Amino acid sequence: MDLENQKRVKEYAEQYGSENLVVLLGASEGEAAGLAAETVTAGDPTYAGPLAGVSLGLKVYHICEPEIKAEIDEAVYEEQVSMMEMVLDVEDIIKEMSAIREQYTKY
Amino acid sequence: MAILKDKKVVIIGDRDGIPGPAIADCAVTAGGEVVFSSTECFV
Amino acid sequence: MNRNAVIKGTGYVLVHGPDFVIHNGTTQTTERVVNPSSEYLTALPGHLRSYDKAVNYPPNQVYIGNLIPEDLAAYEFPWYDKEVPGAERYGRFGEIMPQDEFLGLVQACDVFDLVFLEKDFTAGVKEKLSAHPLLDDSILSRLKDGVSYEDIKSYVEEKHAEPLYNQGQLVGYVKQAHDIDASLSAHVLLENLVYKASGVLALLHLIKSSGSAKEDIDYVIDCSEEACGDMNQRGGGNFAKAEAEIAGLVNATGSDTRGFCAAPAHALIQAAALVKSGTYKNVVVFAGGTTAKLGMNGKDHVKKGLPILEDVIGGFGALIGENDGVSPEVNTDIAGRHKVGTGSSPQAVISSLVTEPLEKAGLKITDIGKYAAEMQNPDVTKPAGAGDVPEANYKMIAALGVKQGAIERSAIGDFVRDHGMPGWAPTQGHIPSGVPYLGFAAEDIISGKIERAMIIGKGSLFLGRMTNLFDGVSVVLQKNSGRRDGASVADLKEPAVRPVIGIAAEGSELGREVAYEGAALAERKGFKAIVIEGEDAHRKMEGMLGSGEIQAAVTMHYPFPIGVSTVGRVMTPARGKELYLATTTGASSANRVEGMVRNAIYGIIAAKASGVSKPTVGIANIDGARQTEKALLALKEGGYDINFALSQRADGGIVMRGNDLLTASADIMVMDPLTGNLMMKLFSAYTTGGSYESTGYGYGPGIGEGYDKLVLIVSRASGASVIAGAVEYADQLVKNHWKRIAKEEFEKAYKAGLKEILASVKTRTKDIDAGLPGDEVSSEAPEVPCKEIVTSEIHGIEVMDIEDAAACLWKQGIYAETGMGCTGPVVLVNEVNEAKSREILVKAGFIK
Repeated sequence: MDLENQKRVKEYAEQYGSENLVVLLGASEGEAAGLAAETVTAGDPTYAGPLAGVSLGLKVYHICEPEIKAEIDEAVYEEQVSMMEMVLDVEDIIKEMSAIREQYTKY
Repeated sequence: MAILKDKKVVIIGDRDGIPGPAIADCAVTAGGEVVFSSTECFV
Repeated sequence: MNRNAVIKGTGYVLVHGPDFVIHNGTTQTTERVVNPSSEYLTALPGHLRSYDKAVNYPPNQVYIGNLIPEDLAAYEFPWYDKEVPGAERYGRFGEIMPQDEFLGLVQACDVFDLVFLEKDFTAGVKEKLSAHPLLDDSILSRLKDGVSYEDIKSYVEEKHAEPLYNQGQLVGYVKQAHDIDASLSAHVLLENLVYKASGVLALLHLIKSSGSAKEDIDYVIDCSEEACGDMNQRGGGNFAKAEAEIAGLVNATGSDTRGFCAAPAHALIQAAALVKSGTYKNVVVFAGGTTAKLGMNGKDHVKKGLPILEDVIGGFGALIGENDGVSPEVNTDIAGRHKVGTGSSPQAVISSLVTEPLEKAGLKITDIGKYAAEMQNPDVTKPAGAGDVPEANYKMIAALGVKQGAIERSAIGDFVRDHGMPGWAPTQGHIPSGVPYLGFAAEDIISGKIERAMIIGKGSLFLGRMTNLFDGVSVVLQKNSGRRDGASVADLKEPAVRPVIGIAAEGSELGREVAYEGAALAERKGFKAIVIEGEDAHRKMEGMLGSGEIQAAVTMHYPFPIGVSTVGRVMTPARGKELYLATTTGASSANRVEGMVRNAIYGIIAAKASGVSKPTVGIANIDGARQTEKALLALKEGGYDINFALSQRADGGIVMRGNDLLTASADIMVMDPLTGNLMMKLFSAYTTGGSYESTGYGYGPGIGEGYDKLVLIVSRASGASVIAGAVEYADQLVKNHWKRIAKEEFEKAYKAGLKEILASVKTRTKDIDAGLPGDEVSSEAPEVPCKEIVTSEIHGIEVMDIEDAAACLWKQGIYAETGMGCTGPVVLVNEVNEAKSREILVKAGFIK
């Protein structure tokens, strides 16, 4: 994940409390989603950014995951995201995201 | 329990997936407060 | 109206830069700051490719034109371990330059005495460069003599110079141009000089491949992502002119266009517009690349044991010139743009760039042979978690097509394969953005492989931290219509667009001459018509319509699909007034009332496209008239502007009696096609006693939703004057942009609730499950069997039952299509299935 974005995530976690923060991702595939999710839970796996060695354990989802989709206004989701459901491998993204959450999310 | 309602939401969108602003539009409808939204670009 | 500009040539270059990867790529320079002793930096040098490997790499061979994109698709993915046998440095579009020669070129491009190379290294490079086919003395004489190794060391270590390496050896440096100004630091200047040199190389190859003289270039547009200037004007710019200077384009000036990865597409549209407007004759769109993005995804490549694939700097150029009657056109009338208010959702982005401009031009997404959006090499992006970028773009276009009902969801894969290509361009922002395909597109369009291509540029503006907006523009390339600019005075007198109408009237009862007489008569009236002969006249005619050789056709016995019917045009006897009969052949719907409602809209389209700005509409007093009236009133209520006519008879009303037909009380008379056909013959032949149709404009154009061919019908009894009338009718429709009018009218009708209104008038007339042996009765829509060639026509089915009859056959696993034969509606099946189909249709009560 981009270093600046890592810095921001870290700052917001300190400011609002990790339990009050949810990270939503829009990654284009499972592996990239998993890496980003790992970064905001277990810490930056590439050891390059401010989250290296920092395990925030944040709640993190991909926007295409069913539990998130269910909370969003249907018309807005349809307009903003639905087309990409046909393009992305949503199954794979769900698999990667669930695995990371099970392992590292604290909230 | 709702995931997004009354939470602070940080968005890391992707230019080749779903961009930040599109996710932000969605998140507010679920009652989340978007505190940060960005879009990454891998190419 | 000026003619579209054309693509007169393209050039593509790559520069191999392994030492730049290590020392100047931002992934690596960042890592050296954050984590100087990282495993990645240690492992990196072992993953760099030799020059030969970079040359042999299949995507690189495609980039310079030695392979075509289809060849790349034939290589099994991944490609990093594949090599092209006998690969060469030079291709028909350009070359892959080795790093040492390029360092020499960088020095040749330095006009401020900032680049210094070691003595022996310089001597070697000079010798190599003197063998380069495109570098003449004007460039080679710019190389300096060279400095000592000690000098280099001291500048790098003590005077903030940026080192230059080759094969791990320190061979030179770039000096800073100012002690304090960060915009003129050695780092910035190195990037800018590398950029400039690769841009110059692209220009030189473009000039060569286009066959133009350097003196002929009027204007150059640089469209990269770099910026040059000092601290008072950090992006002051004009790389373009600086590069043109070195390349020797003495008559050119230029400017820089920026917009992240979208810049080349912006520049292409600008160049085409400058040429089309007549401001300049020859405009170059070009860009080089620089070191920043080298090894950008290197960490992932090294982690996965791959070579560093981002080891080449890319450059390209395209010459946009005046229409020469041959080269592919850049049609700036079909240009999409992502607007400030478009929004960022992928569907909004793709709509604005793809479907909106196409719809405006009356084209479907499948009318574009190939799309070129972001042609990044997936070998690079996939291991880095960014997926296959070109494929994702094609899927997005297809997915939008699905959402808009243009293609089936199950056809996404086919669409991606047929309208897409594998990516082959290096990941340097603007370099892969649509333009890598320009060279192949020009070839594919000239060879007839495709008719049109769309170049799409997309830009991530948010990276500049000035806006969260995304950006993009698109433009269509198309086959040249075959006429030249600057033609003779005689040509100039002609209107810019004079439609050519084909006449395919084989099988006329009045003999073959009638078509020629009709054409001659039309010519005398100032229209252009050509006769299409032979048994396969329909096929020829369709080919000519497809290629744009003719803009409309007049013919007979033409099978229209269900949903399309023709609007005839006659001269009424009582007032000598023109009357549109909607409709005269074809079938707008299997449902009578739905058909008549649609016919009213078709009639409005035909009348408006013939220049009747506010046509009045009446409904012939036939079966279904009252229901049609109700539906049309509801449509008007919903906001669709219909001007209803009033009957001349004392009791008035929208429904027209026979007298009204004779007086043409309405401009458009709505009726079913059989009644219309009858009326047509009466109005055309009443003065001749019947066998010869002598007056009016014929049975008219086939109109239907999304139907984009302009085919007008005459009958076997239509005389020369009617054929000439049909040519005139066609000419008007073309000149008045009938396709646009049709699209607008349908849009307005749908907005007024057409869909719901039609749903309410429709009733099924037969049960498609009736009489089927042993099957459970279900009312679900049957699955369509595999498509096959259908040549056997089954006649005798009621027009209202025709769709149900086809569905009935589908249920039995027989592929069937519906259409209008010359005697009425037909179901078409493969000849081997004809007997069985008849049996099924008899059993189900569709035929006797």
